[in-house]
Amino acid sequence: MMLLGISLCASAQKGLRINEVFEGKLIDKQRMGESLVKGENLAPYNLKVLHTVKFGANDEERAKVDQLFSEDMKERISDDYSNMEFESRDGFIYYAIVQITDNKEGTHRYICYQCKEKYNHYYITLVYMEGMASLSDLRKTFKKK
Amino acid sequence: MNKVASENIRELLARYMEGESSQEEMRLLKDFFNSADSLPDDLVPYAQMFAILDEKPQTPTVEALDRLSESPVPAPRRRIPLWPLLAAACVAAFAFIFLTPPKQQDNMAIAYVDGKMLTNETQAMQMGQEALQEIFSNGNEEQQLNDLFNAQ
Repeated sequence: MMLLGISLCASAQKGLRINEVFEGKLIDKQRMGESLVKGENLAPYNLKVLHTVKFGANDEERAKVDQLFSEDMKERISDDYSNMEFESRDGFIYYAIVQITDNKEGTHRYICYQCKEKYNHYYITLVYMEGMASLSDLRKTFKKK
Repeated sequence: MNKVASENIRELLARYMEGESSQEEMRLLKDFFNSADSLPDDLVPYAQMFAILDEKPQTPTVEALDRLSESPVPAPRRRIPLWPLLAAACVAAFAFIFLTPPKQQDNMAIAYVDGKMLTNETQAMQMGQEALQEIFSNGNEEQQLNDLFNAQ
């Protein structure tokens, strides 16, 4: 059943380098918290796919995930802050929200990343989203006031 | 047979062999060869030919026809080799299984924690929402103020 879920979710962010992380190739799935939501549950947010993974990482793993995400960021549609948010610390991404090239007409794709350090360990959150919602809409919906 | 008759017959034969004989001439030829007691050597083959043509085909008896209708001989079955059909069926099945893209589930909400699947949709949604809230709550104050200002 888990394999079925994995196979279904793997197709969502197909073509992206961070797919390797979502597929559990870099970090063991047993060490992850993962959620995959598709369809009607996301209708209120004007999204079609929401895939998240959270995990703890060491220096090496953090560097690799950072590298993969950075490579995918090259596909972003622009550096305009209406289409992306980005902050780095000490040469690594602290958090990023990036709209990448649309795969279908009118459908946007987003990748998000956050890496928080605590006691020399890293806590990484990675998100893939797909839907009609604009980044501005998503900010309004999910940003805590 | 006199010489005159023999010459006429040769003429009729010539016409017959050319396919120009009338029905009457053909009848004359048949009658001639059927009734001739002796013939010149060159006409003997024709006599044999007309004798064969004059033979009536054997008519089957009523009993023979009845027997035939009671025990019909089954028509030989045409053997159709099965292996091409089986091979085609196998190819079609493999193509259907492996080439048809898997149908994506339209609606789903699943979550995994420490490798264990949570089937509760609400939990899956909650995990997704929390991750998004965490990420979207980053950013500097200026950006947040701008968003707040633009939203009003």
